[in-house]
Amino acid sequence: MSTPTPKNQMTRRQFLARSGALGALGLSLPAFLAACGGSDSSSSGGSESLFFDNWPLYVDPTADGLTGTVDRFMAATGVAMTYGEGYNDNNEYFAKIQPLLGAGKPIEADIIAPTFWMAGRLINLGWTEKLPKDLIPNFSNIEDVYVNPTWDPTGEYSMPWQAGTAGIAYNIDVTGREIKSVADLFDPEFKGKIGMLTEMRDTIGLICMSLGIDPSKIASFEDAAPAFEKLAQAKNDGQIRAFTGNDYTDDLVSGNFAACVGWSGDVLQLGKDSPNVRFVIPEEGGTSWCDTMILPKGVPNASAAAKFMNFCYDPVQAAQITQYVQYLSPVKGVRDELAKLDPELAENTLLFPDDATKARLRSFATLSEDVEAKFDEEFSAITGA
Amino acid sequence: MTATVVRQNRIARNADRVGLGAMIVASICLVALGTRLVSGPMVSVIVLVLILDLVGVLVLAARGGPEARRLLAPYGLLKPGMLWLALFFLAPVWSLIRISLSTKESRFSVNYDFNWAFQNYTKAFSDFGSQFQRAFLYAAIATVLTILIGYPLAYVIAFRGGKYKNILLGLVVIPFFTSYLIRTIAWSTILADRGFVVRAMNAVGLGNVFEWLHIMDNGKLLNTPAAVIGGLTYNFLPFMLLPIYVSLEKIDINLVNAAGDLYSSATRAFRKVVLPLSIPGVFAGTLLTFIPAAGDFVNAQFLGNPNTTMIGNSIQDQFLKQNNYPVASAMAAVLMVSIATLVLLYTRIFGTEDLA
Repeated sequence: MSTPTPKNQMTRRQFLARSGALGALGLSLPAFLAACGGSDSSSSGGSESLFFDNWPLYVDPTADGLTGTVDRFMAATGVAMTYGEGYNDNNEYFAKIQPLLGAGKPIEADIIAPTFWMAGRLINLGWTEKLPKDLIPNFSNIEDVYVNPTWDPTGEYSMPWQAGTAGIAYNIDVTGREIKSVADLFDPEFKGKIGMLTEMRDTIGLICMSLGIDPSKIASFEDAAPAFEKLAQAKNDGQIRAFTGNDYTDDLVSGNFAACVGWSGDVLQLGKDSPNVRFVIPEEGGTSWCDTMILPKGVPNASAAAKFMNFCYDPVQAAQITQYVQYLSPVKGVRDELAKLDPELAENTLLFPDDATKARLRSFATLSEDVEAKFDEEFSAITGA
Repeated sequence: MTATVVRQNRIARNADRVGLGAMIVASICLVALGTRLVSGPMVSVIVLVLILDLVGVLVLAARGGPEARRLLAPYGLLKPGMLWLALFFLAPVWSLIRISLSTKESRFSVNYDFNWAFQNYTKAFSDFGSQFQRAFLYAAIATVLTILIGYPLAYVIAFRGGKYKNILLGLVVIPFFTSYLIRTIAWSTILADRGFVVRAMNAVGLGNVFEWLHIMDNGKLLNTPAAVIGGLTYNFLPFMLLPIYVSLEKIDINLVNAAGDLYSSATRAFRKVVLPLSIPGVFAGTLLTFIPAAGDFVNAQFLGNPNTTMIGNSIQDQFLKQNNYPVASAMAAVLMVSIATLVLLYTRIFGTEDLA
């Protein structure tokens, strides 16, 4: 008797069906999300693929009639290579990969480029794969100083990509004079126009050297405390415009930074287009460092990665990288090959430091776990916000 | 026949409670799944409960007769929203609070031990007090500025816009079709030390005035507090302008004319008629501006310097660079609670029943 009209019933049925469908949608979401988490994109098909995530301005591109290393490698081996510039800051990149590697899952990249101390951390955490050295015969071309380095004592997990120097980069249009010393970074004339790197070992390392502290001999936080105080004071005074990662190059070229802590090769590259941008190892000395190539745990394309490493350790190829990036090559024989391409560059002491230059460079000490935690905390209290 | 009716009636009487119960059970299931409170085979069990729960309600609605359907309908309508919020609001907030009271197993661990670690909150206050203050101060100044800029603009568009009304509104909104990030980075180019703004100001001698006013600092406009507040004001202006415009647009112009007929001056008519009627718009605009501005980190990141960081920057830094999820979560929780408290107070003092 009380049955509603068919029309009415239809609409209600429709309504219920639709709300049910919506409910089911909500229901399937968690399963969908869970499925997203464990995606493993196993590359099907014949040709190998490779993804190298590196720092910006760190490989020769295909431009000006020259074929870049990545393209030369693809042509030589047939590997489909993706080259990324995902690195801006070691800690930032670490935070990005930590949730995956920490949970035992692979990351997207096959080769990553942590700086030596970060490479040491990843190796200690067991988040790296051993290099398939039998596929890398050119490994024998490695410079002697990088054989079994402190961050990788057995030499099984890492190969240096490029090495370099941290010093002072400046824009002479803004400074109006040559910059020679770390003290210039604290000159009130440049108030609010100074950049510092979020790379603690370079920023603190340079300040340490200006205060007469040898950064290669630091063992505890107290050893470096005066440098932290000086930096904190400068920040509170408004001397520092920004703490940056590799993106300092933009502000340097645009003239927002009068001077900043920078990396040799970047600034030499920029100098080609903007002659007003210059680099100097300060009078007090600079820091030297090295970025590595590492295979993250569970790397999907280890053999393609090995092919690439082998390719880059051929002095002929390495020399072309060096010619463009202008960093220190870890490959023996690069200087001779570079002399054929660009004799002037082969004599540059920033690329091939002579003994006098080497004597002014220090590499930051390896910090123990607890000490490093303290350094990071104190440094982020100043830079981090 | 009678038996069916009796059964239907019994179901109908309880349909109300069943509908509510089913919704709560489904929400709890989704929160449990979203927070990963359950693991392993229990996940399948919960998913099964969820399916049975939802299918059960549908069966009840299909079989229970019109009265049951009438009682169940509101819950059916509520359910998409409720379940959405359960999965994407309640579950994350639960995780946030839980992590904020946890400690990391070790420095680089991705696992957290829940142990009522209230020291995270102590640290959030002691280490980041100035960032909290700055966030609320900058957001408040920006909100006031958006009112001062947005109200007259909305007034002109609403009452004097005429046939250009839509074009004028379009001009306000169109820049915001571009990404928030790109617009903010564009400001860093516009305000750069050697950009045309600074050069033009120096050319006409305004540079020194701005230095004296502490808006500029050693020849730079970018990377100063003024730039951060300016960026916030710019980015949130439409969120203030549009609600004010809506509330002004609704005002019957005859009310203003009537005030005039009763020998009210134009100022008095504005004060006594237009302003009170537009307050709901200002109120809504304030909420839409202040809340996101207080948590913003983009403007301080690109337009600020190390001494103008806001709490959003600190949270971002702790989450994404320091990997310190517990302290970052504690800061986020404190920010949420402080904003909620401020908004509640604000609603109590200035709130109106009829929000625009």
